Amino acid sequence: MKSSRSRYQRPPRLAFNATPMVDVFFMLAIFYMLVTRFSSAEQVPMDLPRPEGSLAKVAHIPERVVINCRLADPAHSSPSSALYSVGPNQPESLATISDRLASLKRQSPDLKVIIRADRRLDYAPVRALMRVIAHHKIDMLNVVAHVAEGE
Amino acid sequence: MARSIGVNPDRRQAPAAGGRRRRRTQRSRDGRAAITVSLAPMIDMAFLFLIFFLVTTTFERAEGILTSRLPEDAGRPTVALPVSPIVIRLAPTGPGNADCSIRVDRFDNVPQRVDALPDFLRRIHELPGFDRDTPVVIVPQDDVRWDHVVGCWNAALRAKCTKIAFAEP
Repeated sequence: MKSSRSRYQRPPRLAFNATPMVDVFFMLAIFYMLVTRFSSAEQVPMDLPRPEGSLAKVAHIPERVVINCRLADPAHSSPSSALYSVGPNQPESLATISDRLASLKRQSPDLKVIIRADRRLDYAPVRALMRVIAHHKIDMLNVVAHVAEGE
Repeated sequence: MARSIGVNPDRRQAPAAGGRRRRRTQRSRDGRAAITVSLAPMIDMAFLFLIFFLVTTTFERAEGILTSRLPEDAGRPTVALPVSPIVIRLAPTGPGNADCSIRVDRFDNVPQRVDALPDFLRRIHELPGFDRDTPVVIVPQDDVRWDHVVGCWNAALRAKCTKIAFAEP
């Protein structure tokens, strides 16, 4: 009787317990969902200023235009040469950007301009851009910098 | 007869045993049908979300905005005279103009580090004739790094200066 039972007894199955793995994956998914902020396409990757004890605040400005001002060639060029682009567009000359600003200013008189400039740039190319902005009677200057750590 | 096509004759009893087991899982002890939730699609979706976030996420520090008023003529400070402004001059120093020197007109013992500038400006505000509304004019030379200009601007904001402008070197 005993021998017949053992003959029909199934061998122990090797089972993979997936529950802890699913738990960890859920934790990772929740972590990423909580910490992720989707960056706008107009935020061209660049090395932004990191002032000590930054007072820069994350703010949503409705009627705005973002002008990116980045190094022409980060590897080789001098910090005095910059590429200007409106939002995610291709680089343009300051004259073209000035025309764009004039058109946008006609459409929305309360237009705000946000300058995103690379921290390694010289002041001269940024000042040239500030002159163009001031030329169109846009008096509020918004400059992007990294926020302080822990904010 | 058609139903038996493809069935292994040795396993003909299996459906009965399996059916009994299925009935056991789908019916509770009081005979009512038990509601079960299949977790497999939810886990699949969670995996897809996780893979999406793992592939697309890049960790970067958040960026914010420093707001100030731009002079009507960006080349010249628009400060109302006879109030004498606090003029901060920045000049490049070091190899590759990586650093900058700070000079404040009419004041000595100016700190050469931007992080010490807010305390210096607060001490100026305590002097007679100066307060937080005294205009601060930042005058960077052309080859000063933008990082130092923003750092000086941020230092003036930390010192609670309300009127900050830029001027030509």
